Amino acid sequence: MNLTRDRLRSIGWALTLSVCLALTLALTFRVNAVKSQVRLAERHIVAMKQDQMFLETEFETRASQQQLRNWNDVEFGYQAPAAGQYLESERQLASYGKPAGPGAPSPIRVARADAADEGVLTAMVSPLTGQAMAAEVPRGRTRKPTTAANLGERLARLPDAGPGAGSGAGPNAGSGAADVPAKPAKVHAAASKKPAAAEAKVASRQ
Amino acid sequence: MTAMTISTAISTGRVTLVNVREQSLNTARWRVVWVLTLFAVIAITALGRIAWLGLSDHAAPSLTMAEALLPPRGEIVDRNGLPLARAFPAYALWFNPKALGEQGPPLVKTPREVADALVAIFPDLNLVKLTATLAAGKPAYLRRRILPEEANRIHLLGEPALEFPRENERFYPQGAMAAHVLGYVGSDGAGRVGMEQVFNSRLTDPALRGTPAMLSLDTRVQGALEDELSRGIADTHAIGAAGIVLDVDTGEVVALASLPSFNPNKIDEGGVANIFNRVTNQVYELGSTFKPLTVAAAIDAGVVTDLAKRYPAGAPLHIDGFTIHDHENYGASLNIPEALIHSSNVVLAQIGDQLGGVRLKQTMEALGFNARPFIELPAKGFPIWRSGVWARLTTMTVSFGHGIAVTPLHLASAYAALVNGGIWRPATLQKVEPGHAAVGRRVWKASTSARMRQLLRMIVVDGTGRHANAVGYRVGGKTGSAEKPGVGGYRKNSVVATFAAAFPMDHPRYVVVAMLDEPQATAASSGQRTAAWNAAPIVGRLVPRIGPLLGIMPDATRDIDISDLSPLVANGEGE
Repeated sequence: MNLTRDRLRSIGWALTLSVCLALTLALTFRVNAVKSQVRLAERHIVAMKQDQMFLETEFETRASQQQLRNWNDVEFGYQAPAAGQYLESERQLASYGKPAGPGAPSPIRVARADAADEGVLTAMVSPLTGQAMAAEVPRGRTRKPTTAANLGERLARLPDAGPGAGSGAGPNAGSGAADVPAKPAKVHAAASKKPAAAEAKVASRQ
Repeated sequence: MTAMTISTAISTGRVTLVNVREQSLNTARWRVVWVLTLFAVIAITALGRIAWLGLSDHAAPSLTMAEALLPPRGEIVDRNGLPLARAFPAYALWFNPKALGEQGPPLVKTPREVADALVAIFPDLNLVKLTATLAAGKPAYLRRRILPEEANRIHLLGEPALEFPRENERFYPQGAMAAHVLGYVGSDGAGRVGMEQVFNSRLTDPALRGTPAMLSLDTRVQGALEDELSRGIADTHAIGAAGIVLDVDTGEVVALASLPSFNPNKIDEGGVANIFNRVTNQVYELGSTFKPLTVAAAIDAGVVTDLAKRYPAGAPLHIDGFTIHDHENYGASLNIPEALIHSSNVVLAQIGDQLGGVRLKQTMEALGFNARPFIELPAKGFPIWRSGVWARLTTMTVSFGHGIAVTPLHLASAYAALVNGGIWRPATLQKVEPGHAAVGRRVWKASTSARMRQLLRMIVVDGTGRHANAVGYRVGGKTGSAEKPGVGGYRKNSVVATFAAAFPMDHPRYVVVAMLDEPQATAASSGQRTAAWNAAPIVGRLVPRIGPLLGIMPDATRDIDISDLSPLVANGEGE
């Protein structure tokens, strides 16, 4: 009985051992299979990177400075923009705006959904430094983004912010009154979160 | 004993037979054992190999990804990371006459037919030469660097003797652009001429070649500079041109061009003739562009304290049997701004005389004019420099830029010091991280530099540099048209026209030097040969192209304040 139990035990141990060995072996094989797959993938990556390098080099050769110049000479004729084509700041951009003349059609407004970044104007940034370039930005600091709220504040300082500001009794007052009153409600409905400054601006246009 | 003997004899025969049988059986058994052992060894070896392949990590030798992607020679990139030179595995077309065996003809078809087919693929090949090469039956390169689709077309010809081995070539995607800066790689794999030579050990070092070597060049600026210089050459039929764009605060060379250039992708005889670098290797008497340097030295030394002081300019100066005269007579007397605006040799000679040879020489030495230019490139020319004590005549001629010859790079570095507050820094072709610029040495006071900025701006607003006045960029600079020395004195008809400029003058950031070698008087230059009509317009066209790329926005409402000097100029706005 003792002998049988011992034998059973040893058989059990042997079985356990062989199962463990088999499992270890299987696991090792599996690990190596995965490793060789990784190597294969790496080789694939290397081939792709080299392909990418070929294509990149080809692109750069075809788009070399001399080639671009030849195309420009023959096809496009682009010239460097003159000083007058650059804007110093949004203020300068805004100064180009004209108040609507008498009898001008009212601006077309299109309904749209509010996006998270709606109304944010990006500051003019330098392509080299990534820093804002507008004159009113303090040197070395970035300006907080212009949202619809503070844009209203900023533009409100301009002498001629809205057509109705100075010439309320103009000939377009009648047509404006006929057209615009329906707008505020619409705007409010579409963008109920619009800040007070925007509302004030819409109101000032009436 | 006898019977025993007999029986022994008989039994001996039997025993022998038995023994033979036994031995044969043994031998057979052993053979079986050996064969089995052999099979077992093979089987075990095979199993062991399978187990090794399955279990071991490093069974199959393979390169790591980093090793596989390591280029055989490091890349060279511009300051924005755009590759200017890279290792590129390309196919070459190699003629191997032994491919079909030692005996018999090397080609299946006749050499003429094969040559015809090859010319159909590469129209620029010479049919006669190619036929001769193929008929000669000697191994040779038929062409370097062919495209994969061309290799496929050659493969379709069915000629085993035409092989395309893969070779590691150096490729320059921008072609001839910045060739003098980059140089090329010779067939021995060593860099030649430019930064390929300077960086050779770094580019081939396995530890370092993985990271590209970054230059201070900006490809876009370099392209614009070469474009405008070649336009200047075409307009004036000049024999060559040189140009440089230099950062005044760090000494970084943003663009450096010497025309005509060569193609580093294909070095041939025509290219070898153009390898000579006019910017760093050729010295020129740069003439009037030296005048601001003399004036700055005089202001700095306290010799000139009043810019309104008038100097006689009505008659040529006669010194030691040598006559100093102006191109035109600008009036009986001129003050300093007028002398610079009209580029008067007579007035500048007097200023130089008052300053004295010792102090003028000290300034020129501080600007590095007595040594080869400071830059990494191996090709650097030695200036024509007067050592020892300067005679009075030497001092006077040097003060308006004659009797001393330097490279255009010397001049650019000197102008950088002139406008950046007075600090001279060595030029470099390697990108300088912000805050890591060379310390440099002070040549002029900051106040002198501020005054010179005004004067240089006035030359462009009112003087000979008018054609360089790009609106909104506040360019300031000085023209220089010097006759080239020849046999028996200066040659009237061959000049070197230079325009040395900086912009924007209210806060100078970049120096631009454009030089034309022997420009002719053409309709495009209004029938003139001088720098005001050929070199200055190059800068005037170049600055609006490169300014925005370098972060300088044009602004017509801004300028350096010259209101205190304007009244001094007779035809200026202050009049």
